[in-house]
Amino acid sequence: MTFTDDELVARSVGGDAESFNQLILRWERPIYALAYRVIGREEDARDVCQETFLRAFRALPGFKGQAKFSSWLYRIALNLCRDWIRRQRRAPVMQMPEGVEAGELIAEAGPIESIEDLVSRRQLSEVVAEAMKLLPEEQRTAIILKEYHGMTFQEIADMQGCPLSTVKTRLYQGLTVLRRHLEKNGQLTPQLVNRS
Amino acid sequence: MNETFICGDYEALVSYLYDECAPNERRAISGHVAICSDCAEELVALGATREQLAMWTPPDAQLGFRIVSDAPRSNVLRPLRWWRQPMPAWAQAAAAAVIFTTGVTLGVMRGADRGPARPALLQTNATNSSVTKSDLVALEQRLRSEMSQPHLAPTSVAATPADARIFQQVRTMIDESEQRQRRELALRTTEMVRDFDAQRNDDLMRIERTLGQMDGTTGVEVAQQRQMLNYLMRVSQRGQ
Repeated sequence: MTFTDDELVARSVGGDAESFNQLILRWERPIYALAYRVIGREEDARDVCQETFLRAFRALPGFKGQAKFSSWLYRIALNLCRDWIRRQRRAPVMQMPEGVEAGELIAEAGPIESIEDLVSRRQLSEVVAEAMKLLPEEQRTAIILKEYHGMTFQEIADMQGCPLSTVKTRLYQGLTVLRRHLEKNGQLTPQLVNRS
Repeated sequence: MNETFICGDYEALVSYLYDECAPNERRAISGHVAICSDCAEELVALGATREQLAMWTPPDAQLGFRIVSDAPRSNVLRPLRWWRQPMPAWAQAAAAAVIFTTGVTLGVMRGADRGPARPALLQTNATNSSVTKSDLVALEQRLRSEMSQPHLAPTSVAATPADARIFQQVRTMIDESEQRQRRELALRTTEMVRDFDAQRNDDLMRIERTLGQMDGTTGVEVAQQRQMLNYLMRVSQRGQ
């Protein structure tokens, strides 16, 4: 039997830890993806994901259902990401980029996707990730919430605590910066764009 | 919503791009895009950028977090029990005061009881002084025999397989407990560092704000003094 988030939350508050585990199972991938895209580092994203659920579990008795459970989780995760970014700004550490290794490519190359395809996909992924790092945190978060988590403008505005028009401006400015960066790196040719 | 679209209204364009606008607004933008090549190109470029964004996928990660009640495992999320949470300073001070007071009280009470205890001590000393040489010889013999016993019966103390299993279980439990404690310590340390960082950040911001305010105040005072000096100069020149 499948329970809704609200039902699982109610059961968790009543002391049923297994219900909370179902919520974790349901939401850990989206939360990890959000953290990874905001932070850009796999290990740290995993830590943020774990910490998000830990905090949610602790604060569950105080969750009165004013917002959707998922929105509440996203908010916790974004706050943790923001803390992480602040810490990194204060104490920047030289870190090895999480790049592609030959061994990893061979291991991941399945029968459907050739290594060349995988490399080009990875390269494009890296270019996008690089471009995203250029954006201010607010623009990046707005784009991530819209593009990868399908939130409405209003939901993003609530999440970021800003007016609806600000969300649209952030999205437009962010997309414009990304477009320029992708054009510069040959992933998006202006001529092609204009022709299509 | 608006039934007309003004060229360069990027907020409306973004609403159109994400298909999140009212039908009449959508019609207005569609009509405009059909005749305005700049806006049409802008829309196509933004759409192409969105397509590229779709290629960005996060790497697979081993997640599988779980809340568990007692069994220690990897990937376990477990809130600290109330008795393991850090005790506030006032509570620590109160506990120390209670322990100290209890100790002092007990000491005082024992001091009061010492009178009758003294004869017993003396009596013991008196008993000790009456030990004879034969007692000492008997004691020596008994000690010698006890010391020689382990050599005679080594098999009687050999551990049985059941004991070995118990030892193994105890060792495993100790290892698990140590691992758990290490993990909790790491978690606590991380939380402490995070809290410390957040506090430091707040303090730094407050200091910066205060410095900014002081800077502003000082600037105003300097400007006032400069005006005053200029005024004095003008007045003194007029007098000459």
